[in-house]
Amino acid sequence: MTPSTAVDSLIRAVTEADSAEALVVATRRLAASGEVAAASTLVRVLGYNNPGAAVAAVDGLIALGVQAVPALLEQLDPRNYGARAWAVRALAGIGDVRGLALLEDALATDVGPSVRRAAARGLGQLHLADLSADQRASLRDRCLQALEAAIADGEWVVRYAVAAGLEALALSSGNENPEACSRARTALQRLAAADGTSNPDAAPVVQLRARLALARLSPP
Amino acid sequence: MLQPSNGPAAGDPIDEVEALARLRRRDDPSQQYYGAWWLGRNRSRHPEAVPLLRLALRQRRPRDASAGVEENAVARNAARALGKLAPEALAAVPDLLDALDDADHGLREAVARALGDLKAEAAVPALCARLAGGPAVAGAPLAGSPRLREPCEALLEALGDIGLASDAVLNAVQPFVDHERPLIRSAAARALLQLSGDAHWGNLLVSLLEHPQLQVRRAALMDLGAAGWRPALEPISRTLAENSLKLIALRGLVENGRGEPQLEPLLDGMDALL
Repeated sequence: MTPSTAVDSLIRAVTEADSAEALVVATRRLAASGEVAAASTLVRVLGYNNPGAAVAAVDGLIALGVQAVPALLEQLDPRNYGARAWAVRALAGIGDVRGLALLEDALATDVGPSVRRAAARGLGQLHLADLSADQRASLRDRCLQALEAAIADGEWVVRYAVAAGLEALALSSGNENPEACSRARTALQRLAAADGTSNPDAAPVVQLRARLALARLSPP
Repeated sequence: MLQPSNGPAAGDPIDEVEALARLRRRDDPSQQYYGAWWLGRNRSRHPEAVPLLRLALRQRRPRDASAGVEENAVARNAARALGKLAPEALAAVPDLLDALDDADHGLREAVARALGDLKAEAAVPALCARLAGGPAVAGAPLAGSPRLREPCEALLEALGDIGLASDAVLNAVQPFVDHERPLIRSAAARALLQLSGDAHWGNLLVSLLEHPQLQVRRAALMDLGAAGWRPALEPISRTLAENSLKLIALRGLVENGRGEPQLEPLLDGMDALL
């Protein structure tokens, strides 16, 4: 079999799966193929309301990396909440700047803490190296704004992910963008000091994570 | 829907004064139910909160299916709220001990959890008494119900949370590590781990992370987190369950545990699950 017919038969196994278990197995196989031609079908699986298959599809899409981004953005059905949540995870893992708007929107508005958590992580690790210095600065500014706005999120796990996202963003801006670094540090200091003392869900683990980030950003 | 009072409509955010007012509405259990929940959720320190919740704990009322409210709903929610209001709610321990003898299984369960949350050492003999006879008596299946005769999970967890490691407590808890239901074994191992720190019980919980049933794996994750058993970092990270639950478990290792692994590898493990 040539590679293309091999991937065709893997795709057919997904579209013709007749049980939840069969869909998981077929999706895992398709995800492992590493073929760009698999992207579109993997995105469709995100909307099938099958968590096991969706996890496998997200892994496959992240492995495909930037090649999977057009399918993720073009095929996404904004009315399918479940599919959107999985797509946010895939885009966060891929780190392509074309996903930025979706990540910003997800962190600010998504009702699912696990989706906001993934978005916060993704906003800290967009791949900016191939862009111009001006573009990098402007995209970092957008990521920072989104993360700064989320330090008062009602869920500890989202604030935890914001701390991790701020650390990654500050480390990657390094010497190039001292202002971004200092803004990230200010936001981390707020998380480290209080984690919102007025919040009945204040979480020591968030403070500890923010302190670790600050220590990593200013080595002794 | 129109509200009989001038207060905020259902679903609107309310404040402490409004929550207390609702808890006083003895004519309207659904308002009381919400008021009790609000006071616990927001850790109210208002001097009237605990006295009103103690009154509410005495309210008995059959389940009202049309209002979507469980049996003794107000009393159960009052117990849950009291559990969140230490140290003021320690004044309510005698009321909670009364309710621990109630005929309502669900109320006994809520009360046991509240006593554990309050770390009420005075409750230890009564909690042990409820577990008397071990798996064959307190832990025997209740006819016509998925429940056991006693709310064993809640009772075991409460004894672990209170942390009084007397022989009487250990003897009451230990038989349940052989219970036929894995969720009860998990609760017993958690309590024994909290009480003794013995790695044997930590390893038992870790082995339940590989149980074929997702429900059991989830319970073992929560129990390892509650006990703060740090050697479970790697097994927790590998468990087939939602990352959200694994993150809660690892948060427990950070906040409730000590020793190895240290903070940084624990937080790195959490980062990897985001």
